Amino acid sequence: MPVLLPVAGISISLLWLVGAGAVVGFLSGLFGVGGGFLLTPILMMMGIPPTVAAASDSCQIVATSSSGTAAHFRLGNVDAKLGTVLLLGGLTGGAVGVHIIKFLRSIGSADLVITIAYVVVLGSIGGYMFWESLSNLRRGVMVPMTHAAAKRGGYLSRLPFQMDFPRSRVRHSVILPFLFCGMVGILAAIMGVGGGFIMVPMMVYLLRMPMHVAVGTDLFQILFTCAGVTYMQATTNHTVDLVLALLLAAGSTVGAQVGARVGRLLHGDQLKILLASIVLLVMVKMAIGLLTAPSILIIPMKGH
Amino acid sequence: MSQRKTLLPFATILALSVAAQAFASSPATVKVTPSVIEMGTFYGGAKVRVEGTVPSGSKVVVIVRGEEVTELFNRVGRVGPIWINTGKISVSGVPSLLLLFSSEPISNCLCRRAMDDCLGDADAIKKQIQIKPREKAASSVAEDFLKLKVRQGNYQMSGGGVQIGGATQALDGTASLAMASEAVQNPPLEGGAVPYSLEFTWPKSAAVGTYEIRVHACRDGEVQESSVVPLKVVEIGFPAMITSLARSHASAYGIVSIIIAMLAGFGIDFIASRIFKKKIAAH
Repeated sequence: MPVLLPVAGISISLLWLVGAGAVVGFLSGLFGVGGGFLLTPILMMMGIPPTVAAASDSCQIVATSSSGTAAHFRLGNVDAKLGTVLLLGGLTGGAVGVHIIKFLRSIGSADLVITIAYVVVLGSIGGYMFWESLSNLRRGVMVPMTHAAAKRGGYLSRLPFQMDFPRSRVRHSVILPFLFCGMVGILAAIMGVGGGFIMVPMMVYLLRMPMHVAVGTDLFQILFTCAGVTYMQATTNHTVDLVLALLLAAGSTVGAQVGARVGRLLHGDQLKILLASIVLLVMVKMAIGLLTAPSILIIPMKGH
Repeated sequence: MSQRKTLLPFATILALSVAAQAFASSPATVKVTPSVIEMGTFYGGAKVRVEGTVPSGSKVVVIVRGEEVTELFNRVGRVGPIWINTGKISVSGVPSLLLLFSSEPISNCLCRRAMDDCLGDADAIKKQIQIKPREKAASSVAEDFLKLKVRQGNYQMSGGGVQIGGATQALDGTASLAMASEAVQNPPLEGGAVPYSLEFTWPKSAAVGTYEIRVHACRDGEVQESSVVPLKVVEIGFPAMITSLARSHASAYGIVSIIIAMLAGFGIDFIASRIFKKKIAAH
């Protein structure tokens, strides 16, 4: 059944939109990623203008992450205290990142830096996660992400403003998650994505949070980040298509519920291997795209 | 005998002028159905019918055009071993939508000059397209622009589709034979006009706006008669309300969008939690 997307101004099959939403929602619930890095290109392939695709994607992520956050909250996987610090750090980093991008654009190097950042960051994170989780699974040992690991931090534990985050079973200086998340925010702004697939590994490896809590907490901060982006896109660019967002959300919210529950059935390392595989696949696809000549050498511009 | 010889040229001239007058006295007419395409909630495209009359013996070219807009693109180029965006370009001077239909291959209907005037083929578009900043490889940019437009469904330049009378006009060598037989099958109407018709699917990707449907009656490669009608594409009902809200009350629209999205998310979670709870209880 076709449906008209009023702001996009085109008509698309309802089933395609709900289906695409369901697949991305499943990944979102499973791994705590927003899914923007997958959904926006899919929508563009369906013929939706890039500006509308990106803005409406943010709006549907609000729905998906609400559903995912609620599901994870009930399962005890959301650390609201740490999530708030991460959110503040992410927003600050995002603002800094936007200015860095402006500077890089002014000297004409933005696209080169963005592309290389993608391949390097995705390759490093994906490769490390994959190798580390595979080693753990082979050994049959679950590495505890608890106080013990955090306490090994040496001078980090002597930083001021130490705080307990009981839900994540870690103790850190507030400065640490703020700074880490700020750096992820900078990268996310440079790379033009929500940053979930960078944020989750960062929480697991640098903040030593348990994988499931990292996923739930990431969804919590994504909810607020994307709500802000949606508002800004609606008021600045007028490109949020509510019909498109709700149809995607119809699939993605259900997908996120299923993803969150499937995630509980999997071992933390299994989850990490799956996420690492997706990150590596995206990286390989990008690397191939970089090295092969496109059939058309002009690309319609995104409006943000 | 000599009187007959003297009269013959005059008779010929008279016959030709009458024929020319008959041609001129039956201008091309056009009627488009529907005249307004209404895009409601479950709009899934529309069939557009163009019909009317052209002077007998004419070839028909129908051109559907959108407004000229400036479009922005990233230019992809090779830097070392990698392909990345190397700059921005703007493309203007050509319509946002261009659909060409004809009763015979367009090259049989229009001469080169007429083709350029009507934007009848890729070469005509390449002559008219404006690319900024100007670059050496402008022709390859124009080529890529056309490929992109065809891929998006906004440009269709193969021609064909127009029927004169009841006979289907093929786009191969049989076209002229069909034209010859058409005179027998479809005798001219009063004033030396013959009917034509075209039916095509309106591109789903075409935006809201006013389009122009121009019908050219052609002979000897020149446009003899033209007729133009507008075709409006408008949103109605719920989609129109959403678009208006998004543009006129952007702040309220943004907040409402966030609230609805959050309610949808929490609502689905509430329903899912009940379902899963029941399943667990049943086990």
